Amino acid sequence: MTAITLDDAVWKDVEEGTEALVDRWLVAEGEPVRAGQPLVSVVLVKTTFEVTAPADGVLERILVAAGETFARGAPIGTLRESR
Amino acid sequence: MRVAATIADEHAWVSGVLGAPVAAAQWRVWLYPAAEIVLGCSQRALHEEVARRAPPGVPVSVRPSGGGAVLAGPWMVGASVVLPPGHRLLAGGLVASYRWLGELHAQLMQEAGVDAREVVPQPAGSQAAADPVRWACFGSLSPWEVTDAAGRKLTGLAQQRRRGGVAFSAGTLVSRPDWRVLCEALGAPADAARLERMTAACDEAPGASGIDALEWAARIDRALRIALG
Repeated sequence: MTAITLDDAVWKDVEEGTEALVDRWLVAEGEPVRAGQPLVSVVLVKTTFEVTAPADGVLERILVAAGETFARGAPIGTLRESR
Repeated sequence: MRVAATIADEHAWVSGVLGAPVAAAQWRVWLYPAAEIVLGCSQRALHEEVARRAPPGVPVSVRPSGGGAVLAGPWMVGASVVLPPGHRLLAGGLVASYRWLGELHAQLMQEAGVDAREVVPQPAGSQAAADPVRWACFGSLSPWEVTDAAGRKLTGLAQQRRRGGVAFSAGTLVSRPDWRVLCEALGAPADAARLERMTAACDEAPGASGIDALEWAARIDRALRIALG
């Protein structure tokens, strides 16, 4: 199982305590995905990011639903990698 | 330079450019001949009810970037800038990446006699505007947006990041909109007076009162050409 996160580098100069918002999931739980495929759109400091799949696999669980926020480093979903 | 557009034109251009790997900086400057309401992407769920409440003939759309709702129209000049990943203007982090665009707008306004300044990031906890109207883009301040000397917002900024490129958008108030249109459509008519107090417009500065939206657009276009050329 691989955690899906917003790349830590984008939080570099963001004010401590700021949270990102999940705008919408582009893939449903259980759906197969390919490495690099956009999985979820998130917003941080008025900036929209597409978080992409780190590997081929299946989106196993959505941990942060659309409309909810998350902190730096928090996993927002999990990916079950293809073998 | 694009001289007249709808929000749909603007979004289509940005989306088209971001749809493929971006090889070089590109930009467009936009004028909006008619009023339109644009919701931030996280306000998508409000689209239907806002469209129902909006005055006849005022379209409502959702932009791909974050932030609050905007009332575009002849009082506003927009700019879209798309940069390739790794461009020098993206160095230094997410917040820092807004700096050059805020400074560009503030400098143009200063040259025209508007006492404008960028919102410089402050230590944690001290940035928030007093009593913000969070649902409206012009109801709160983010780093490197532009205000007048009294802290009233003049330019709002937002950004989209994709693997193939980064798109910035800026909206500047050349003259004052009727905030009641936006507030009533969002179901918050009482916020109109607060938005009126929290915003300014370039044409309120004595030196800039004769500069119309078309001229602002030409100036922004020239400045972007120099910055990105």
